[in-house]
Amino acid sequence: MSGLRVSGLSGGYVPGADALRDVAFTAGPGQIVGILGPNGGGKTTLFRALLGELPVRRGEIGLPGPPAYVPQTERARLDFPVSALDVALMGAYARTPWYRRVARADRERAGEALARVGLAEAAGSTFGTLSGGQRQRVLIARALVQDAEVLLLDEPLSGVDGVSGARIEAVFAELRGEGRTLLVATHDVRQAAGWDRVLCLHRRQIDYGAPAAVLSPETLRETYGGELIVLPGGAHAVGVGHHHH
Amino acid sequence: MDLGAPYVQRALLEMLLLAVPAGVLGTWIVLRRLAFFSHAVGTASFPGLVLASAWGIAPQLAALATALGFGVAQEGLTRSRRLAPDAATGLLLVGALAAGIVLASDVVDVGAEVDTMLFGSLIGLTSADVWLTAAVAAGALVLDAAMRRSWLATGFEPGSARALGVRPARADRLLLAGTAVVAVVALDAVGALLVAVILVVPAATVRLLTDRIGPLRLGATALAAAEGIAAVWLADALDVGAGPALAVLGGSVFALVAVATALRTRAGAA
Repeated sequence: MSGLRVSGLSGGYVPGADALRDVAFTAGPGQIVGILGPNGGGKTTLFRALLGELPVRRGEIGLPGPPAYVPQTERARLDFPVSALDVALMGAYARTPWYRRVARADRERAGEALARVGLAEAAGSTFGTLSGGQRQRVLIARALVQDAEVLLLDEPLSGVDGVSGARIEAVFAELRGEGRTLLVATHDVRQAAGWDRVLCLHRRQIDYGAPAAVLSPETLRETYGGELIVLPGGAHAVGVGHHHH
Repeated sequence: MDLGAPYVQRALLEMLLLAVPAGVLGTWIVLRRLAFFSHAVGTASFPGLVLASAWGIAPQLAALATALGFGVAQEGLTRSRRLAPDAATGLLLVGALAAGIVLASDVVDVGAEVDTMLFGSLIGLTSADVWLTAAVAAGALVLDAAMRRSWLATGFEPGSARALGVRPARADRLLLAGTAVVAVVALDAVGALLVAVILVVPAATVRLLTDRIGPLRLGATALAAAEGIAAVWLADALDVGAGPALAVLGGSVFALVAVATALRTRAGAA
């Protein structure tokens, strides 16, 4: 396990218009990195770059293997006739040859992954009938089946119920213990303060480091601009008025 | 219906063979919302059929050329993103139909065959036609076996498909091409205008009844086979074309199932 190394990363979707520039950080094995930034600040662009899907990209990315990606649950089609287990099994597609069925060991792994996120009983349920938090946990189970050393999670804790949120945090802690590296895009500054590193993006890298060093009012103001709300008592919250889908 | 007559046997066999792609590809056409595309790609073959008849070349070859040309034009028109895909489909569909009618009425002499081209006829089916349909049915099974996981992951959530090791663009292109090829072999049975009766209607009907892909695929195949056999019998008994008979039958079964499932849902909610 060697973690993740990014240096001099810039890029975007069309030549000559960088959506994100000057990103440089390293995240070791067993670290959870919270990625903060406004909508359009470059969180998803960074994930696309790490997945090798960004059309225009400069700089260096060092990965121990292909990362797993957990999308926002609203992006999945709810009318698709798939069970939670079907979705978890997708995590085994990359190692399944086209002429074979998904291996029995992978079917077992998918069942175990669902149990790990607390959804063993829901394995046969249709994905679209689950709650938002449960759907998010199914997508995390899919990433567990992928067995990647680096996991990229796009706002996995936004709008999920308390039970799901607690379960997801518990799985994060387990993955950290296994020496995996997690990059978690989030809007919740307080949550990110509990993780190992924080990366602040606003079309460029504002800051990176331990939460105590990074999460200053100045850095947050630079990261969020007008979207930052300072709560009484000095806590910070982020006003997210225009969530994009 | 005289089951001993070779033309009846060929018609029944053709319908049974078409039930295979109707089930396996029809499932994906419905799930990936390609119903309008499949209708249009069938219609687009019409000018090809007119020219094939006038020039004496194999109709399937001309139909395949126009259907694939349609797919390429569709992709070209929508790649710039200035035109929505269904707008491009509608535009090309109308253009193809108009071009076919102009060719058939003023340019080349195809006589009374236009009806057959648009609505199909199983009377003149040769054993070569049936063999071709068998080959395409086998090809659809292989394509489905190879691509179903890609189609599932891409249709479920395209943004993460590549991270799962799937190539979404290639998967989409193969599904469109497979649809075009199946549409071409369905022309004999249902004609250029009724291709969706085979590619869409059985799977759309069974979709009302199941929330799983396996039963959907099997159910659509079985329903397409049953409707196909019933349509051949109806066509023979009422002396109408098998294509229109299948369309009326498929539409009626869909309507019945839709009403029944709606009533059941309402009863369940009450």
